[in-house]
Amino acid sequence: MSSKSIKRTALLSSIALLGAVVSGCGNGGDSEASSSPSNSPSSSSSASNPASTDAATPQATADSGKKIKLEVIETGNNLPAPDQDIIKKELDKALNVDFNLTVYASGDDYKNQLNVRMASGNFPDLFALDRQQLIEFSKQGLLLDLTPYMDRLKQASEFIGEENVKKGAVDGKIYAISKSSQIPYNTYFIRKDWLDSLNLEVPKTIEDLKTVAAAFTNDDPDKNGKKDTFGLTGGELNGAFAPVFGAFGVGSPGSIYEKDGKLMNALYDPAMKDALAFIKEMIDTGSVDPELLANTALQHQEKAFKGQAGIVWIDWPNMTKENMIEQIKAVNPKAEWIQMEPPAGPAGKFDGSWEIGNTPGRYAIPKALEKDPEKLQRVFDLLNYVSDPKGGSLLVQFGVEGTHFTKDGDKIVMTDKAGEVGYSWLYQFTGRPEMSYLQTKFVPQAEFIKFANDQPRIQTLNGFVDLPEGYVASDADRYIKEELAKFAYGQRDLGEYDKFLKTLETTMKYKLFMDAAQAQLTALGYGNK
Amino acid sequence: MVKGLEDRLFNVLVYAVLVFCALLAIFPILYVISVSITPFGEVLRNGGFILIPRDVTFSAYKTLLTQSNLPQAFKVTVLITVVGTAVNLILTGLMAYPLSRKNLPGRRIFLLMIVFTLIFSGGLIPTYLIVKSVGLIDSIWAMILPNAIWSFNVLIMKSFFEGLPEELFESARIDGAKEFRILFQIVTPLSVPVIMTIGLFYLVGHWNEFFQAIFYVTDRTLFPLQVIVREILMQSQQTLENADNITPTQTLQMASVMIASLPVLVVYPFIQKYFTKGMLLGSIKG
Repeated sequence: MSSKSIKRTALLSSIALLGAVVSGCGNGGDSEASSSPSNSPSSSSSASNPASTDAATPQATADSGKKIKLEVIETGNNLPAPDQDIIKKELDKALNVDFNLTVYASGDDYKNQLNVRMASGNFPDLFALDRQQLIEFSKQGLLLDLTPYMDRLKQASEFIGEENVKKGAVDGKIYAISKSSQIPYNTYFIRKDWLDSLNLEVPKTIEDLKTVAAAFTNDDPDKNGKKDTFGLTGGELNGAFAPVFGAFGVGSPGSIYEKDGKLMNALYDPAMKDALAFIKEMIDTGSVDPELLANTALQHQEKAFKGQAGIVWIDWPNMTKENMIEQIKAVNPKAEWIQMEPPAGPAGKFDGSWEIGNTPGRYAIPKALEKDPEKLQRVFDLLNYVSDPKGGSLLVQFGVEGTHFTKDGDKIVMTDKAGEVGYSWLYQFTGRPEMSYLQTKFVPQAEFIKFANDQPRIQTLNGFVDLPEGYVASDADRYIKEELAKFAYGQRDLGEYDKFLKTLETTMKYKLFMDAAQAQLTALGYGNK
Repeated sequence: MVKGLEDRLFNVLVYAVLVFCALLAIFPILYVISVSITPFGEVLRNGGFILIPRDVTFSAYKTLLTQSNLPQAFKVTVLITVVGTAVNLILTGLMAYPLSRKNLPGRRIFLLMIVFTLIFSGGLIPTYLIVKSVGLIDSIWAMILPNAIWSFNVLIMKSFFEGLPEELFESARIDGAKEFRILFQIVTPLSVPVIMTIGLFYLVGHWNEFFQAIFYVTDRTLFPLQVIVREILMQSQQTLENADNITPTQTLQMASVMIASLPVLVVYPFIQKYFTKGMLLGSIKG
């Protein structure tokens, strides 16, 4: 009797558990099967909300009047909770939507999230993606072809400009709205007070740069009696020496640009060897950050702030914004950083290279949204609204008029509450008029912004090139980086440079990339002069 | 008893090695604590390295607790941890106990099925599809239910239950106890070590909840602590040239790390005594 009841209870409870597991699977399968044919774009995640609004306002069954939930995902950070998100509230009001923006801090996390959602049919209504994903997803038929809808996206396409519209195209069809172009931020910054203390001039040529860097290292510019400084730092080789490559007329390694009317890859540029030889000389003097190659993220900035390095190639926001100045002054109240022009070399002066084929971001709409024209219209409305220079664009750039900015004629002046909407850039789905935006928002930095933007740069075209199949960019890039570091640090003789190219072409299949680049860029009209 | 010189030397060596290991563990924690309570200017002036803070300020903690998404995330994490661990323990216990009874019909088959899931898993996308179709997406349950039972913990608990002497059950039955009374009044009090141990596994797992939140949740107000902390830490990793981006100082970053790890750090010592016991008890049958 009792042993029977043990058996029964034991069996029952384990079956119950198992049942729970199995039925979980069963449910999953069932509702998946039932939901996928209808392919409702407002699937489970958003289903609850519209339903409840329907119940509240039963008359709102026809189009237009209904409040629609829009889901947008992208990378970013610092987005406040929805109830404190002023921009969200304004957009909700203006477009009659319930806006749900989700941002992911890490690009990898975001990619995973997007891939899973695309694979499982739980599409967001608008999402950021990179060029590679754009090509993949569009080939899989997951993205809405926007070409027939362009007249309904007039405001947005006017705002970003014809050339940026083209950047969202795959095989002649437009699958994404690209953000409007950015402007370059980076220049060399140099310690003015160190120059003064050693009676040196701002370097004008790369030879000067070498001398000054050496002086910063050997002549104790901070006068603390210790040899604890060095000349130059930056983010790895390409960062610290971007203007030096530029002085030789070479783009950053791996980039493609026009030289004398012909397409040129930096690695094949005859001047590349000269540039590497000069960089090696400079490194040999011991005046370059010994940990240069290990500088990730903003470590070079930290070294500059700490008073370890006297020259750094970096963007103006990380050097001149108020909180940065505060940090610099906290370490040494006398520290004074100034921007300098790129030093001149055999090919003139160029402050590194600037990619013109890329865009700061692009957004696509899932094909599934086709079946929900009302919602699709709201997504178009959104894109047009944030592109309206008189309306929504001001909102996502500067916040709410009267609260975060005021208008003085045509001029926009930020109020001291502007910090409340510092995250508004997350909502700039079509970008912003970069120069005027920065000049308005960063008034004390206006000079630095203009200076950085005015420097000549080598215009690179890599963004226009779609990678050919069989070519693994990450492998090739790593190989290039490693070998160039060996050349620069004298671990491999420059005489072997051609051998390096040979390996790159064969083992890393760089030839595939070169051919693809040649064909695609020629088709776009580059290098035909 | 006189100890030989050799013995004493050996002891010294053991202590030296242990002290060294302890220092290796303490050093980074001390560094994180110190930086988190030092003004950032001071940190930079010291070359970014501070072990003993001189100029103490809690402003970083204040900023994080008042001006960020951390407090909300903290609440979410506490909720997930408490509810989740309770769900885990109840379900794991209820599954392990019957499986530990040798007279359960089909026991081998059930065990095989459990072991099977240890080795093979459905993969990310099928799991996502299930979570989605069950309607868990964007709810707090998405971070609790998909991992309600870890097969491995079921096996540990099962072998612990198997180690309980059969005589106990017999005497309970002679005294007239039924199955549920045996489970709750005999087995459960005897199983505190294993419950604590497994509970700690689950608890830490929930406290560190990250991936399920990233995949299944898009509502910002439901993000748990680790997601927000990662967001704060990632901002300084990005070289992304965004003029609007405000990089949190190292002080802020370290403070966020402290807020995220302190509670578990505090819980550990209290559970530790069960911990070592429970770990062994799961493996040795006596």
